[in-house]
Amino acid sequence: MLLREAAATNYFNLVPWVVFFPVLGILINLLVGGRLREKMIGVIASLAVAASFAVAVLLALSLNDQHAGTIIAFMNLEWISIGDLHIDWAFRVDTLSVTMMLAVSGVGTLIHIYAIAYMHADVRHHQDPTRYRRFFVFFNLFIVMMMILVSADNYLMLFVGWEGVGLCSYLLIGFWYDKGKGGANHLDGISNALAGKKAFITNRIGDFGFLIATFLMFGAFGSLQFDTVFTKAPFASQGTILAITLFMLLGVAGKSAQLPLYVWLPDAMAGPTPVSALIHAATMVTAGVYLVARSHELYALSSQAQNIVALVGGLTALFAATIAVGQFDIKKLLAYSTISQLGFMVAAVGMGAIVAGIFHLVTHAFFKALLFLSAGSVIQGVEAGHHAMEHGSIKESKHKRGEHLNEGGEFDAQDMRNMGGLSRRMPVTFVVYLVGALALAGIFPLAGFWSKDEILAEALHLHPAVFVLLIIAAFFTAFYMTRQIWMIFFSKPRSRPAEYARENSLLLTLPLILLAVLSVFGGALNLPFWHTLTHWLDYTLAEGAKVGSFNYLVAGLSTVLALAAIALGIFLYGKRYQAQAKLPAAQRPVDPVQPYLRGAFTGIQHKWWIDEFYDWLILRRYVALSRFLSYRFEERFWHDWLHDNAIAGSFRQTAHFLAQPVDLGIIDGIANGLGTISQRFASWIRRAQNGFVRSYATWVLAGMVIILGYLILR
Amino acid sequence: MDANLIVFIILAVVAVGSALGMLLNKNAVYSALFLILNFATVAVLYIILGAPFIAMTQVTVYAGAIMVLFLFVIMLLGAEELAGATKIDWQKPAAVVLGVLLLAELIVVIFFRETVFAEFAELTDFGSPAQIGRVLFNEYLLPFEITAFLLLAAMIGAIVIARRVRQSPSKRES
Amino acid sequence: MSGYGIEDLVYILPIVFLLVWALVLVLVEAFTKRPDVTMLLAAFGLLAAVTLSVIQFGTEATAFKEMLTVDGYAVFVYMLVLASGLLSLGLAYDYNRRMGWARGEYYILMLFSIAGAMLMASAANLIVVFLALELLSIPLYVMAAFVPNDASSEEAGLKYFLLGAFAGGFVLYGVALIYGATGATNLMDVVAAALGTNSPVMLLTGAALILVGLGFKVALVPFHMWTPDVYQGAPTPVTAYMAVVAKAGGFAALFRVFIAAFPSVSADLTPVIATLVVLTLVVGNVAALAQKNIKRMLAYSSISHAGFLMMAFVTYGSALYADAVTSLLFYLLAFTVTSFGSWAVVIALEKAEGKGLDFEDYAGLGKKYPMLSAAMLVFLLSFAGVPPTLGFAGKFFLFRTVLEAGYAWLAIVGVIMSLVSAFYYLRVVRFMYFEQGDPEVRSEPVLNLVTAITVVGTIFLFLFSGPLLAWASEAVLALI
Repeated sequence: MLLREAAATNYFNLVPWVVFFPVLGILINLLVGGRLREKMIGVIASLAVAASFAVAVLLALSLNDQHAGTIIAFMNLEWISIGDLHIDWAFRVDTLSVTMMLAVSGVGTLIHIYAIAYMHADVRHHQDPTRYRRFFVFFNLFIVMMMILVSADNYLMLFVGWEGVGLCSYLLIGFWYDKGKGGANHLDGISNALAGKKAFITNRIGDFGFLIATFLMFGAFGSLQFDTVFTKAPFASQGTILAITLFMLLGVAGKSAQLPLYVWLPDAMAGPTPVSALIHAATMVTAGVYLVARSHELYALSSQAQNIVALVGGLTALFAATIAVGQFDIKKLLAYSTISQLGFMVAAVGMGAIVAGIFHLVTHAFFKALLFLSAGSVIQGVEAGHHAMEHGSIKESKHKRGEHLNEGGEFDAQDMRNMGGLSRRMPVTFVVYLVGALALAGIFPLAGFWSKDEILAEALHLHPAVFVLLIIAAFFTAFYMTRQIWMIFFSKPRSRPAEYARENSLLLTLPLILLAVLSVFGGALNLPFWHTLTHWLDYTLAEGAKVGSFNYLVAGLSTVLALAAIALGIFLYGKRYQAQAKLPAAQRPVDPVQPYLRGAFTGIQHKWWIDEFYDWLILRRYVALSRFLSYRFEERFWHDWLHDNAIAGSFRQTAHFLAQPVDLGIIDGIANGLGTISQRFASWIRRAQNGFVRSYATWVLAGMVIILGYLILR
Repeated sequence: MDANLIVFIILAVVAVGSALGMLLNKNAVYSALFLILNFATVAVLYIILGAPFIAMTQVTVYAGAIMVLFLFVIMLLGAEELAGATKIDWQKPAAVVLGVLLLAELIVVIFFRETVFAEFAELTDFGSPAQIGRVLFNEYLLPFEITAFLLLAAMIGAIVIARRVRQSPSKRES
Repeated sequence: MSGYGIEDLVYILPIVFLLVWALVLVLVEAFTKRPDVTMLLAAFGLLAAVTLSVIQFGTEATAFKEMLTVDGYAVFVYMLVLASGLLSLGLAYDYNRRMGWARGEYYILMLFSIAGAMLMASAANLIVVFLALELLSIPLYVMAAFVPNDASSEEAGLKYFLLGAFAGGFVLYGVALIYGATGATNLMDVVAAALGTNSPVMLLTGAALILVGLGFKVALVPFHMWTPDVYQGAPTPVTAYMAVVAKAGGFAALFRVFIAAFPSVSADLTPVIATLVVLTLVVGNVAALAQKNIKRMLAYSSISHAGFLMMAFVTYGSALYADAVTSLLFYLLAFTVTSFGSWAVVIALEKAEGKGLDFEDYAGLGKKYPMLSAAMLVFLLSFAGVPPTLGFAGKFFLFRTVLEAGYAWLAIVGVIMSLVSAFYYLRVVRFMYFEQGDPEVRSEPVLNLVTAITVVGTIFLFLFSGPLLAWASEAVLALI
């Protein structure tokens, strides 16, 4: 009772703390982190996020009583006030933002804990404990920015978070900036730095769209505050709304890795695995989905915009799912799967099925984080095996079985072709991975089944074309996950390191187990007939969330398709793969599906040459243009003629004049004079301070007399 | 001229003169005696105002007990002649000028501006012991109590400062 | 006729308890002669008074025939001075033992003076204001002179006493003039009587005299001359204590008296107050530039902070005075926390006989005692008003209020002066981090605790400044 009363009155005020706790974590780690033990740094960072989560829970409790939520202005701060533009630094507490906060901080906490164990190997490897602090400071900073993003009450504040998470993403993708092959030296880190840069630049393109949308909104509505914008939007012209929503879609495509700006996400896997899990699977990439959901009142005004968003999502879902089939890198495959699942969500929120989209966002956060973290566990297990082989007791010639090497010519612990048979070596990881994969594939009754089916059911109802795209994508999803499971965990080890792989410590597997539990039961958030989440979000969504009926046909169809895909996968990667492995190297296909798909597989494997296409279409033009500008324009015209002759010459003469008579004479005089005056003044004060009580009393009297004199003579 | 006014002017001159004498005299005993005169004059002023009890208190407590104590201390310490203090050139003229200015300002405020005084009811037995007791323990109970604590704190402070002199005889010798 | 009831005592229970507790401690000290026992009991008494004040929060009442007001404003100041008392107990405990003059009376006197400060915050009667001021001050005079056989401490105490009595005379004369003009000493009656008169010159004179007297207590220029000498001569924990509590009490009374009783003369007084503010800021900061002794530097710094606090007062007659008082309370809080922290560091470095107090003694602190010097850094930054510290939030709210009230030039002076202040604060930082030296620090648990609490407070409360400001403004609402 007491708790409820307090909740009804007080908890909303706590909302700044979802941001402040991680800030505190950063401060502590920055200030004293250098003196702390490695574990402590991680513990502080994790506690900071956990505290944030606790605040989010309190907010949710309060919302349970006061559904409407509230807007909390922080320190009564008016952030920007220029002309007609007034923007407060305010936090929005409603069911949508709190749902996001819960997902971000909840999953974030688990991943932080995981990272304590995961990053330890990195520190040990580099003999450099400062890396640990750097990692967790960035990680906490990410949570800060993400919280700002989801709690913002206006588009500009949201944009601050939006840019902030982009920055953190950049910093963390390039965390291993000394790794990866690019130039002559095979470990000069060029490729990881390039991956970070790619992510940043691609996102900038999207941000540009978002920024334009913001400008348009201010121009059309005179405000960037959500409620004001939404109230005024219905009176704006159709064209304005379309422009705003489509520019915003560009931002969404950048951040949530949709067509045509998805290319950065697979490369972003160069970062440490916890980063991939937290930023590039569970939270940051869903920001775009959140943005569309938040702005659904704008999208609802334009059926064209809705149509385009849904199509972009649907196409991305299918497109990325096909590419995932051809990947051998364990994390890249998951990255494409993420893109595909984000496509599901974007399609859902685009169609207006906001609840379905957010529902999938939450469940996806559970199982995709689980999959990434488990993949990290697998990688570390295999690396441990590799390490034991290289330095340990097992003396054997390297690469005996033709292991697949990375670009640097080293053993590639992420290549699934180097794995196999790990289910016996790493049982815990295997079980949780299997749970995650089944959830992703949408098998009853795991979380993914419920959320994906809700999207499919809504799509059938709202946008049949997208439904077709999505259900095919769903088939591919089940297929590539089966492929991955089989390549990693079943049959025999295909490399020596895989034979010596080791299960990881409890600290690392505990978050996995928790996430697995969430992946199993996450669907309970919005079971058909109960629709908890639907009612919950109903308080925020303008038109009210529609309670969709559970469509047995869709559920049955998707289940059948998924099971078929799994069966196909098992058939191909079970027996067929082993049989092919016995063939001589020349006849052996790259992948068991290659003989069936032939040319298409080459396309898949090369990701449909999109990167190459962008390179040809944009990068080369751009480089040529900048060469022209730098050489012809800047060097010849600007620098040689205009700058050196026209400006610098006259500037030199003016400067000479200013330096000699003006500066030495006048300016120095003033500056020195000020110093002298203040010194004189200070010494005068010191002289007045002579230590005698009677003098002091005289001063008091003098002050009194002057004040009274003023008051009388006034 | 009103007789009351004549008495007042005479008393006022004596009071101010004795105060000045107390301030300007270099001999501490003379200063103390001037102060006694001042207190006594003020006591007479109280009587004129119709407050005999306060006048009696003034005489017995201030002019009597406290000043006798002062004289004892001065004579016991042998400090009749005040030691010449370090001279500060501007001090005396500045103090005189400022003091005169303050006086002038107050005179202006009270006599040369349209100063409105509050109207006070005529009290017949104002200043009688019964009336004072009634006022002190009714209306001004809180100030009275605070004063009690104030005096206690001052007493404790005096004891603290005084007692340690006895504890450290070495200081006095040197 | 009598009209007093038990509720009169209950309303001011924290003060009553504190005074009674002080009496009990007098007996305890007399019979045990154990300073540490007295100290612990004093700390307990302060804690109990804090608890009683917390219970008091939300009360709005007058007691003792409207001579005292208990409202949010008063309770805010109660909490502030009680917390100050606890912190300065922490500062004094080790110090007094280290210097070899631990006496139980020290803590008893401190309790009396805290009760005085609390009474000042509640006083709604000019006579009570004066008496509370004396109850606050007289123990302070004694505490300043507390070090036995130390000429500078005795000099400080005597100077403070003589000048304090002088300033007290001004207050009393002011009260007398106001009584003459209005026939009242209760603030409500004064304001009622003042409304009727159209030429309140005597009232104005009385108000000015009170301003001078209280201005002396909070060390406004030109009534500040005692401050550097007394701060330097007094034992450091006493300096820390009086720098905060005398200011808190003085400003609390100043605001209540002027807002409640003298709104009618605000137009006349505002230029005077603004001039005092500018003088205080300029003299305090410029003089601090020339200091080489940390206690003297902090003394001038505290003068300049009095100027900043007074800045809020400029707007007391305008519609914005509620905001002004809010920012004053907040600034007072920031000043309290930061000030105690910095004094704690000074005490940690101080050696017997006033050694270890020059800037040179801080050379090399950063290398040898990184935690302590980091704490000092936080305090100095907070003094200078650099985020993320409480001092920044304090200055921020203050300048904003002054700007909103239309005193842009004053805010500019304030900003320039806080830049000047950064200069001398950073000089200490330069010594700590960029000069060679080998400072000695005694690590004493209670002192370290005080440092830790204040450093955490300086940063943590900054993050909490929104709710704190809300609290302060709630406290002010009651005053209106």
